[in-house]
Amino acid sequence: METEICKGTILIVEDEKGIRNFISKSLLGAGYEILLAENGETAKRLFLTKCPDLILLDLGLPDLDGIELIGLFRGWRQTPIIVVSARDRETEKVKALDLGADDYMTKPFGISELLARVRTALRRQSRQQEERAGKVETYRVKDLVIDLSRHVVTKSGEEIHFTGNEFKSLVLLAKHAGKVLTYDYISRELWGTYNKSCNQTLRVNMTNIRRKLQEDPAEPKYIMTELGIGYRMLEDN
Amino acid sequence: MGRKERIMTELRAWKEKVIVSKAIHFSLRDFMQSILVVALASMICSILLRYTGIENNSALIYVFAVMIISRITTGYLWGILASIISAFSLNYYFMYPYASFNFTISGYQVALFSMVAVSILTGTMTTRIKQQAEEAIRREKRAKELYEMNQRLEAEHAAARMEAEMEKIRSNLLRSVSHDLRTPLTTIIGATSVILENGKDMSEEECLRLLLDIQQDATWLISMVENLLSVTRINDDAAELKLQMEIVDEVVGDAVQKVRKRFPEDRITVTLPDEILMIWIDPILIKQAVINLLENAIRHSGDKEFISLNVYRQEEFVIFEISDRGRGLLASRKDEAKGDTGRGLGIGLSICQSIVRAHHGFLESEENPLGGAIFRFGLPLAEEEIDGDRDL
Repeated sequence: METEICKGTILIVEDEKGIRNFISKSLLGAGYEILLAENGETAKRLFLTKCPDLILLDLGLPDLDGIELIGLFRGWRQTPIIVVSARDRETEKVKALDLGADDYMTKPFGISELLARVRTALRRQSRQQEERAGKVETYRVKDLVIDLSRHVVTKSGEEIHFTGNEFKSLVLLAKHAGKVLTYDYISRELWGTYNKSCNQTLRVNMTNIRRKLQEDPAEPKYIMTELGIGYRMLEDN
Repeated sequence: MGRKERIMTELRAWKEKVIVSKAIHFSLRDFMQSILVVALASMICSILLRYTGIENNSALIYVFAVMIISRITTGYLWGILASIISAFSLNYYFMYPYASFNFTISGYQVALFSMVAVSILTGTMTTRIKQQAEEAIRREKRAKELYEMNQRLEAEHAAARMEAEMEKIRSNLLRSVSHDLRTPLTTIIGATSVILENGKDMSEEECLRLLLDIQQDATWLISMVENLLSVTRINDDAAELKLQMEIVDEVVGDAVQKVRKRFPEDRITVTLPDEILMIWIDPILIKQAVINLLENAIRHSGDKEFISLNVYRQEEFVIFEISDRGRGLLASRKDEAKGDTGRGLGIGLSICQSIVRAHHGFLESEENPLGGAIFRFGLPLAEEEIDGDRDL
């Protein structure tokens, strides 16, 4: 039933035939329309003419570096970008994310993971559009409710006390739920700067937040660690 | 150690030369000092003689002067010269009849003799003391040099050992790439061609089993590749890992999540400390080390129930302890001796070892008293304590 309704158009930028094949098969199967680009030039053209709802971007393209495309696409439109790459150095990931990519997947990955990330990115996009329209009062993440006007956080109805910075971090993560926020980004949002001591305070704060939320680090419900990169708030799925 | 011995011989020869030259050492400074002291003694004697009229003190004052000269000058020369001059001047100025020599005065020979003896004795003694002091300083300096040389040699040795270790891991890996990687690839290619060629005649169940085999071996290949990548991370520069301040919970959580995803049927119990522990590490490498030990436990122990990861603080170390209640170390070693290493138990472990070593930690293993094996590695805690926001 669901497959008949188009959930959105996804531009797949990938030069590897095998990977392109299985990604497009699984996305088609899940009810998305797809556009295929084997290189950067085609990707640019399709991006401008077809206005996709989401981009799956491989960084290692034959004609140019995928990293360049992120900046370029971001300059044009706020279309969500999920980077799909075999490059697994954290610096690469951080660079892609700081340039405006929404998510980063390292090859190899499973279909279910890919579909989950696509769903998340698309939902985030539509939610942010709604948020831009009206003023946001509360964020909800599973049984967690963050009330912005009252400055109160409740979990399953029970209030949890957070310090000022902890609350701010939590709001920031909730606002971008589903998106990986780099240490650098969070620090700049909270303190306007990034340095060693900020980073350490941030990390300790985050650990305190998790303890207050009674998170199991091996089975996180609310906040995911992206090791060496940053944090991501999980959404309802 | 030919170099060390040569240096020692040279040093000894030099020392002997110094001692000989010190005995008959001539310096203007010593000469001036000697004259000054003798003059001073003479002055005191004449003052005393004028005011007290007693001449007995003079000999004592001269002996005292000779002692001082022997003490402050180098070698015997000045002491002896001073004692002779003192004897004559004592006789000439301060013994009756004044202003003339009279060597027949009773007891004078004794005074002369004792002054020369005192000067020689004091000279010998002070020279020896000085030499001993110098010797002590030299010895200390030498010991320090030897110590530093030793340190340097040890550092070189450690670096060479590290290099050899890395070389071993590298060749281990290469061997496994050529041998171990072939096995899963054979399964994958074999199974896919069976499905492609006979897929129509096969039951759905048979097909599924082959597909699961493919997936399992592909997963194994991934973990192999990740290990290879972590070795390149260490190899980039063995001395300089890119260390970051990390919270233990986050690294452990991430590693366990990954292993649970790969082996959904296996139970892993995780215990974390209450206090927030921070370590300076390359998080990806330490995560890999934890993953390797957990996967080894899952793959090789035969235990599906009691695999546990226990993280705790022990003095200035964070201990990561992975234990199972499987076959134990002995059984695994026996298999290894028979040539059946399983797939890459050794590689995962040796990579773990080199990761831990690169972080100045330690890795050890023992039999679990409850049966099975325990692998444990410790990493030094971050020294500075950083607090987050406090609750007010």
